[in-house]
Amino acid sequence: MWEVALIYGFINSVILALTALGFSLTFGISGVSNFAYGAMYIFAGFASWLLLNKLALPFFLSAAIAVILTAGLGAAMYRFVLLRVRGLVISEVIATFGVGLIILELFRYLGFSGFEYTLPVFSDGSLLIGNTYVDYQRIWIVGVGIVLAIGLYLFTHYTKIGLAFRGIAQDEHTALSLGINSDRIAGLSVAFGSGLAAIAAILILPRGTIAVNDGYDVLINAMAVCIIGGLGSSVGVVLASFLIGYAQIMTDILSGPHWKMIISLVAILVILVVKPSGLLGKQKELEERI
Amino acid sequence: MSDQNNHQKDAGLILRVENLSKSFGGVKAVVSVSFDLYEGQLLGVIGPNGSGKTTLVNLITGFLKPDQGKIVYKGKEINGWAPYRIARIGIARTFQMIRPFAELPSFKNLIIPLYSPRVKALSGGKYGDLDAVAKDYLEEVGFERESAVTYKSAGSLPHGYLKRLELAKCLALRADLIILDELFSGLSIAELASIVPIIEKLISEGKTVIMIEHRLRELFRIADRVVVLNYGSVIAEGIPSEVMERPEVRKAYLGSE
Repeated sequence: MWEVALIYGFINSVILALTALGFSLTFGISGVSNFAYGAMYIFAGFASWLLLNKLALPFFLSAAIAVILTAGLGAAMYRFVLLRVRGLVISEVIATFGVGLIILELFRYLGFSGFEYTLPVFSDGSLLIGNTYVDYQRIWIVGVGIVLAIGLYLFTHYTKIGLAFRGIAQDEHTALSLGINSDRIAGLSVAFGSGLAAIAAILILPRGTIAVNDGYDVLINAMAVCIIGGLGSSVGVVLASFLIGYAQIMTDILSGPHWKMIISLVAILVILVVKPSGLLGKQKELEERI
Repeated sequence: MSDQNNHQKDAGLILRVENLSKSFGGVKAVVSVSFDLYEGQLLGVIGPNGSGKTTLVNLITGFLKPDQGKIVYKGKEINGWAPYRIARIGIARTFQMIRPFAELPSFKNLIIPLYSPRVKALSGGKYGDLDAVAKDYLEEVGFERESAVTYKSAGSLPHGYLKRLELAKCLALRADLIILDELFSGLSIAELASIVPIIEKLISEGKTVIMIEHRLRELFRIADRVVVLNYGSVIAEGIPSEVMERPEVRKAYLGSE
């Protein structure tokens, strides 16, 4: 049993990190909390499904187009909704949550529910690790998750846009004074974050059906991981993913799967009470509050 | 260069500020300010605290939009432009509260302006070895080549180096007009002695500089002209030694008693 917990805890942790990566990236760069994040995830799932089943495109092509479409949706949301309320945190949250609601409930309204809404796995079969079987899709998830994390690090440290990302994250005014169009870069960060949500969806959704309600769960999980790890801290995201990832698997094993979702919410509450800026977060306003 | 003005008296004019005004609620921060600035000049902008100096900088660099008036840079009206566009046409600024990219190493702070479309265009579309170029600029402002401070994160630099880094950022942007908001504040006499020649060198290379300053003695030694602001209005303008003799300036600085 402990072997199962160890292996599946690890996989669950990578899944959490993968789902949270985009949310964290967008917030870390532009300070925008994208509450439409879960909707972007589900949008990517259905978009890919439609391209695959209605236009009969090959799976990887439909997945790639879905990622691009989702990133485009993020960019459009920034351009037409967020840009108007940029800087007013509560308005950003309400606006993005509203966009997310519209997307998710529109899918529900149009009847996108049922067992036929499922994406194919990348490759069939499974691998025996010790005495535990792990299907190839989960191996894919772990592999791509790790590659993506390393890729993001290299991207933000060694490319022009990556450097601009870090510039506006550290001081938007200075970035502006040095010729960086911070609105454009912030828009890109929302598009990138949405694209990452789409990649996570394409990898993770084949394990089950694409369900509208998962959009809300993905958002809660992404927020839990980011709040616990410390908003904007990428190391924090990984750390928190492993904490919650293992906690969820242990709860699952010890008291049944329906308690799993509670863990994230309880963890958010505990961390907000004990260390409001998260494990590795640096929210000066919170730390120095009188 | 096609939009350059033909009038003889405007030859070499780089910046013209005309009747610029800005209020915050009921507070008139800048009131109908006008002045001309010619290429290769060093203009000092002085005045008591709260006289509108930094607001003026923010208006020229696009961080605030003027209520009224015109800002013309090299023949182009730039009032209302976004700050990044103003940076891209060659106006660089520093901030009174120094704002480096704190978590990036010093030399990486310069890579961001080096990547700007302006620098790319000026260097013929090629970026080249940016790390080396960044280090050249740091050397120009007094960082020793390959010294530890070059690689330290900017947030941990001593004050004197932070000020130099601010200057280096303006150089890296290859700005023609450099606006320094209280560059001298907090510097020791020794640090000043080493930073003043850097500014003199900029001027000798044809750059135009505006300095907002409280350290008047040091400023007056290098400024060609000064503008004195009080309650948002220009109360005097001229060469430094004369301006300080005027009664209205003495009154603004020393109080009316």
